[in-house]
Parts: sequence; C-alpha cells; structure tokens
Amino acid sequence: MFEQVILASECDVANEVICAPADVKELFELPTVFHIGQLAVSRTMILIFLAAFIVVALLYFGLRKGSVIPSKFQAVIESLVQFVRKDVAEDIIGPEGVRYAPYLTAMFLFLLVGNLFEITPLINFPITARMAIPAFLAIVTYVIFVFVGFHKNGFRYLTDIIWPKAVPLALRWLVGIIELFSTFILRPLTLAVRLFANLVAGHLMLTLLLGSGVIFIWNFAEAGAKSLVGVAWFAFGLGIFLFEIVVAVLQAYIFTLLSAVYIQSSVHPEH
Amino acid sequence: MLYAMSTVLILAETEAEEGSNIGLVLPDPYELVAGIIAFAIVFFFVWKWAFPAINRSLESRQQAISGQLKEAETAKLEAQSLLDDYRAQLATAKSEADRIVEEARAQGDAVRADLVSKSEAEASQIVAKARVDAANEKARALQEARQEVADLSIDLAEKVVGENLDRAAQHGLIERYLADLERMA
Amino acid sequence: MEGSIEVLKGGLALMGYGLAAIGPGIGIGIVVGNAITAMARQPEMAGTVRTTMFLGIAFTEALALIGFVLFFIA
Repeated sequence: MFEQVILASECDVANEVICAPADVKELFELPTVFHIGQLAVSRTMILIFLAAFIVVALLYFGLRKGSVIPSKFQAVIESLVQFVRKDVAEDIIGPEGVRYAPYLTAMFLFLLVGNLFEITPLINFPITARMAIPAFLAIVTYVIFVFVGFHKNGFRYLTDIIWPKAVPLALRWLVGIIELFSTFILRPLTLAVRLFANLVAGHLMLTLLLGSGVIFIWNFAEAGAKSLVGVAWFAFGLGIFLFEIVVAVLQAYIFTLLSAVYIQSSVHPEH
Repeated sequence: MLYAMSTVLILAETEAEEGSNIGLVLPDPYELVAGIIAFAIVFFFVWKWAFPAINRSLESRQQAISGQLKEAETAKLEAQSLLDDYRAQLATAKSEADRIVEEARAQGDAVRADLVSKSEAEASQIVAKARVDAANEKARALQEARQEVADLSIDLAEKVVGENLDRAAQHGLIERYLADLERMA
Repeated sequence: MEGSIEVLKGGLALMGYGLAAIGPGIGIGIVVGNAITAMARQPEMAGTVRTTMFLGIAFTEALALIGFVLFFIA
C-alpha cells in the first residue's frame, strides 16, 4: 500500500519500462507510524504484534470450546496444531519431540501468519522479509540444538562432529572441518537467510510487478501504448501472487521442519 | 546481553548507511525486540493454553468414543441376555406343552382302555346270559319236545293197538327208551 | 567517478550472485529428481524421503544463500 505510493511518487511513466524505487530499502524499511516517548514505532513493529495477535486469536477461538464434535474452524485449527505436533515434532525428533512441540508449533503458526501477510490485501508486507524474526528464531533454534547436544552427549557431541568415526581416516579431518563449519555457522545462517531471502524476493516481485502494472494502467494518458506493458506486468504479478501463496506456506513449513531436524540431530547424533 | 547486541547492530547499521545495502540483511534492533516480545506471547500462549486445551478436547473426544463403544457393548450384552431369557422361556413352554400333551394322551389311553374293558365285560356278560338263556330254552324245548314225542308216540301206539294203554306206564317205558337212545347217540 | 565505481561494484556483486546460484540450482535439481525417483520406487518410504530431501536441499541451498548475503554486503 505504502510501497505503491512511493512508487507512484517516483515513477516516470513516460520514460521507464518498469517502476523501481531509486533505493530498494524504501520497500522494506517502513515509515514510522507513531511515537511512544522516544520510541519510534514503525509499521513493521505494528505488523509483528498484529501477527502475534492473529495467531493467539485463531488459537483461542479455534480451541476455546473444545467440542467433541468440532466445527469446521475448530477442525482446521486442531489439524494445524496436530500437524506440527505429530507430523513434525514427534515424527522427526521421536518421543522426546513432545518437549519441543510448543516451540515448533508457535514458530510455525507465527511464521505462517507473518509470511501470509505478504499476500494479505491492505497489509502486503511479510514481517519475515525483515531479518529480525528469522534471525531471532534461527538463534533460538541454534541455542536449543547446541545446548541439547552438549547436555545429552557431553563433550562427545563436539568430538563426534570434528572426528567422525564413520568416515575413512584419510578424509576424516576434512569432513570434520566441513561438518564443524556447517553445523555451527552455516546451519543458523542459512536457516535465517533462506526464509528472509524467499520473502524479500517475493515481496520485491509482487510490489514491482503489481505496483508498476497499476501505475501504468492508471496513468494511461501519459504512458500511452505502454499501458499495455502495465497490463502484462499486472498479469505476471498475479501469477507470482499465486506462487507466493505456496512459497509463504512452504517456507514456514521448511523453517519448522529444519529446526526439528537440527534438534533431532542433537538428540540422537548417531543418525 | 540483548542491549549489547542491539548496540552492535546499531553500529553496524550506521556504518552501513553510507555505502552498501547491508542494513537490509541485518536485523533492526527495534524490530528484533518487537519480534521477541511477540513471539514470546505466542509461545507462552501455545505452551500454557493452546496445548492443554487441545489435549482436553482430544481426551474428551476419546472418552466420548470409548463411552459410546462401551454403551454399545452393554446394549449388546443386554440384548443377548434377553434373547437367552426368551429362548429359555420358549424351551420351558415347549416342554410344558409336551408334558401336557403326553398327559392328555395317557389319560385318553386310560379312559379308552377302561371303556374297552368295561364294554368287553358287558359284552361277555351279555353273551354269557344269552348262552344261559339259549341253554335253558333248549332244555325247555327239549323237554317239551320229549313230552310231545311221548304223547304222540302214545297216541300213535293207542291208535295202533286200538285201546287205551296205561298212559303213565307207557310214558315211563318211552322215557326209558328215549334215554337209551340218548345214551346210544 | 565515485558513482561509477559504485555502479560497477553493484554490477559485479550481481554477477557474483548469479554465478553462486548456478551450482545450487543444479544441485537442488539433482536432489529433488532423485528424491522423486526414490518415492516412486518406494512410496511407503515417501515421508522419510521427503524429510531427507528437504535436508539435502537445505545443505545445497546454503551456497546460494551465502551468495545472496554477500551480494548485499558487497
């Protein structure tokens, strides 16, 4: 919404093929809405709390009655929660997955709502396209799996990674270095960046394509025949829109799944 | 620690402001704090409220289903016992009926045997009486015939002799003769 | 002069990211293709294969994601 305004204020319809802001930051660093004392509350922060509120509200209204014969809404919410609890937490981590199920469920629902903000009309901004939430959740997962690894296996957790017994001796040191690097640096980094990058790309595509399309069609007097290009952008943007629904759900799932897999690798390091 | 991290991030960001877009890939400290608070709310809600709630509803569903199963089981057992009762009653009724029929048959047989024996006795009585009567009749007829034969013989002899014989003496003579005849026969 | 160097740097970073994305692109193709073959061969193992597939994608994708971060840092 705001992004389109920015685009429209900057776009030179007559000379450009697609409207892009001079600085891509403008699409991601949203303006301050109001101040609380010294604290500038940006639109992103409001959306973050809105996402939390929506998750809590969905859970509350879905599970409040707990009827024996569930309504459709209750069945949907129950199956969402049960999906993370059974199919992700318990199937991957094993019986101990019950302990991590609340974290994984909260993560999945929060990310799902946050990702779907990307395609929600009037919001149109995924809060996960800012690094804060992916980074925070990746760090929490990192802390959990490192802590659980040392807690369950003692110091052997580290030595098993550096000196893997299953690998032939000649390659062992190389695999050890790669594993060390992969486990302690790449895992949290890629976990956060994967989600972030997917949502950044999606948000960028949607804003540029749909925004340009609307602006070209709206200003057809200035753009002339180029408003046809706008129609093409808009149609392409709609295709991407459908694709982004899948991406939003899939990325939330993958983030949760990989968190579970990483925790599992610390609970049972031999696998 | 969070504060220290935030300051580092702020520094990184202010440095980044000048040249590249690195600020885009670093978390904004205010958003980070907002994200932490928001996620904490969600997490505690899921942990403390949503999971117990869903467990409760799943449990009550399970109980309802097992309760219904149990109810069905008891109903089935009840029906079975009812059926057994009916069967037992039917069996008693049947044996009762059999017994009654048997009794009736025995009674009928007794009555018939009684009647038969009674009528047989009566019949034999009648026959015996008839036999006695017949014998009496025969004896009387024989007596009469003998008298008659004697009279006729005397009459015949009177006529042959032409004179009256001593009737009583003649009678004795004929009687003796007839007795002889009887003996000879 | 300053501006043209900035533009050049941006262009090089973009090319670098493009190059970094080739390998993972091929790699993910191989991973998913083999995972589909495995699922077709043993449908009863589909759940395990899918999890392993996502894990493999996660490892393979790491390089592209590092490239993405470096593009912003450069």
